[in-house]
Amino acid sequence: MRLTALDEAAETLNLRKHMGVAEARAIYPTLDVIEDDPAANRRFLEAIADWCDRYTPLVALDGVDGLFLDITGCAHLFGGETPLLKDILARLFQMGIDARGAISSSPGLSWAISRFGQGGIIEHGEAEQALAPLPVAALRLEDETIGGLDKMGLKYVGDLLTAPRAPLARRFGGAVLLRLDQALGTDEEPVSPRLPVASLSVERRLIEPIGAEDDILALTGQVAVSLKPSLEARGVGGRIFELVLFRVDGKVFRISAGTAQPLREPKRIAALFAERLQAIHDDFDAGYGFEILRLNVLLHEDFVTSQGDFEHRQRKDASLAAFVDRVSARLGEDCLQTFQLRESHIPERAYTTVPAIEHLSAPKTREGHLPPARSERPIRLLRKAEPMDAFAIEIPDGAPASFHWRRMQHRVLKSEGPERLAMEWWLDGVDGKDAGDRDYFRIEDDKGRRFWIYRQGHYERDTTQSWFMHGVIA
Amino acid sequence: MAQSAVTRERLFALRETIAKLEGKPAPALAAAQSEALADKGLAAKNDSGPRLPLGIPALDEAIDGGLPLDGITEARTDLLREAGAGSGFVLALAAMLQRQVEESHSAPLPILWIADMVSTMEAGVPYAVGLRDFGLKPDQFFYASPRKLEDALWLAESAVESGVFPATVLEIRGNPKPFGLTESRRLSLRAKASKRPLFLLRQAGEEEASSAYFRFLAAPAPAQARPLPDGTMLGGSIGNPVFHLTLEKSRNPAPLSFLLEWNPHDRRFFAVSQSANPRLPDERATHSGTPLSAPSNRPDRKKEMGALLAFARTS
Repeated sequence: MRLTALDEAAETLNLRKHMGVAEARAIYPTLDVIEDDPAANRRFLEAIADWCDRYTPLVALDGVDGLFLDITGCAHLFGGETPLLKDILARLFQMGIDARGAISSSPGLSWAISRFGQGGIIEHGEAEQALAPLPVAALRLEDETIGGLDKMGLKYVGDLLTAPRAPLARRFGGAVLLRLDQALGTDEEPVSPRLPVASLSVERRLIEPIGAEDDILALTGQVAVSLKPSLEARGVGGRIFELVLFRVDGKVFRISAGTAQPLREPKRIAALFAERLQAIHDDFDAGYGFEILRLNVLLHEDFVTSQGDFEHRQRKDASLAAFVDRVSARLGEDCLQTFQLRESHIPERAYTTVPAIEHLSAPKTREGHLPPARSERPIRLLRKAEPMDAFAIEIPDGAPASFHWRRMQHRVLKSEGPERLAMEWWLDGVDGKDAGDRDYFRIEDDKGRRFWIYRQGHYERDTTQSWFMHGVIA
Repeated sequence: MAQSAVTRERLFALRETIAKLEGKPAPALAAAQSEALADKGLAAKNDSGPRLPLGIPALDEAIDGGLPLDGITEARTDLLREAGAGSGFVLALAAMLQRQVEESHSAPLPILWIADMVSTMEAGVPYAVGLRDFGLKPDQFFYASPRKLEDALWLAESAVESGVFPATVLEIRGNPKPFGLTESRRLSLRAKASKRPLFLLRQAGEEEASSAYFRFLAAPAPAQARPLPDGTMLGGSIGNPVFHLTLEKSRNPAPLSFLLEWNPHDRRFFAVSQSANPRLPDERATHSGTPLSAPSNRPDRKKEMGALLAFARTS
């Protein structure tokens, strides 16, 4: 067991990282050692990254203890780069987090300055000057390379800056020069954000935090009103909305809701989140209130504007979409489904279920055509055909005279069939042998109950045939 | 004499309360009563609100002109293995309503089916291809499978409230406690406000007091034979489904039992002639004793012994 991290008090003592716990305890018997939990560290870092969303949507994780924030075009919202950095660090400090930060024109340089330098803001032309006195470890190199450079006497970045490039590349590979160029900003390094960037986003910062659901929804409605012009300007409507709530103590709630059709109407957007808040009611803890409320449009689609006619048909469509949205927001998208027919003889493959929220927006697919010469199908199909015992079967291809299903004896009075359905060999065939054909019968028992049953296998070919119950006929 | 006057007053007060519950203005009740004595035809008209006639004059008269389109109609089955009859009857009603919408609007409106999980496991999911054979449009059929009864009730309420669906079917199994008179009253009021019908399909349930206008007991009945081109019937064939319906709850005091044939092609009901013996084949048996269980493979479920008593109905 070794020490992986030290707190401020421990740093002032004679302790180092990677020191054995036994050794450290021998020096300081009162040392308080807590087991490292990488998963918890990760969660904590992600929570901070979530919180950093208030500054820029482009937040990327860096290793286990760092964050990259791409503040291009964001600094002026906070009064410039210096106030922005001060604000971040002060707020993190108030939350009890010891953070160091730097702003520069490249991620590599900021990384070096915040970890090995004094932090702060590096202007565009000062990169070499700021980098030169730092140790080569500031270039994000592997330990082996650092050791190699150390042996050569290249201890500081300044040494590398003046050294000829070709021998360096030959000796240590391209990584050293790549990292050096990235730090100097001559080589572009992209920062990949951890969350998809919203296509549109509006937010409201509050001086007085709000906590009541009604307030949140009212504010969502207001914010959605200011979202409408930008949606209209682009000719689109939102399909997936996300409500981001920043709680005063740093926790961030993300609530997303989908819609069946592209949506602009502020009232309906607010109604959507009303249902979502109902659904997640138990997990939603307002605590001391929320200080920032942001509404993102994660996915948008072309909005077809249409004029309503006198029959209010458009309104009907709209209210159906509103109903589907409400249900999907509250009970999940899988709760409400529609059927689509497919071209297959096999009863259970003749249809698929599609979430209603997708059905409304997707263009109508061509209806599958089943062959006209077929018997009527049952109105309810069992999810899985249930085996049953059949007796006194008419030989060779007849229906049973009675059967035993779910501990009940049924006497068959009338039957129609068989309708032979061959399985789809390209799907069901196993080792060149096709799955047994099915002979379907519509039967009526002595009480007038009608069922759809089938026999698996042929009379001539298979010694054992099994009977199954597959559906209920009206 | 004085006592009887007090009793009468109480009786009137109770009637007034009932009239209020049923949404009729109280003075109209008295008027309706006198009218009912004078003229039966007018009394039926007094019940305002849209109705769905079943298309059989004698029957429509008995149910005041048809099923209410602004309230709950309940259909129940005794046993889950008879789910086909209950589901078929309710789906047939939905298909009739969809046909009405098509005739008036031309743009079809969807049907919503709110399923119960256990009934779905026992009797299966509505089958898209079969629904088409039954006279419905599979692409205009919404199927919801909420996890809890509370969710199902919320779903039914908001579906009726939204006014989009010409028919909403709420399937429940048995007589669950959380779905009592209060909840059914609430749904009924919603339906009244938005003028949309709700069909309650109670699988394997007992009779229970609810605010449904009508309650039918749906039982299976032998299907009609298929007609041949020369007008005769094909013996031994299974044609249009027939439901054996018993009107258990209605304004009409006499319980009514009848057979209805559903024609999926025309999407309408036909009356099955009552001249044929409506009793089922095994009821018609010469020896009406309790049959012994059939000794094949495994014993059949134990038959109920002894006579059944006609208990007073709950509602």
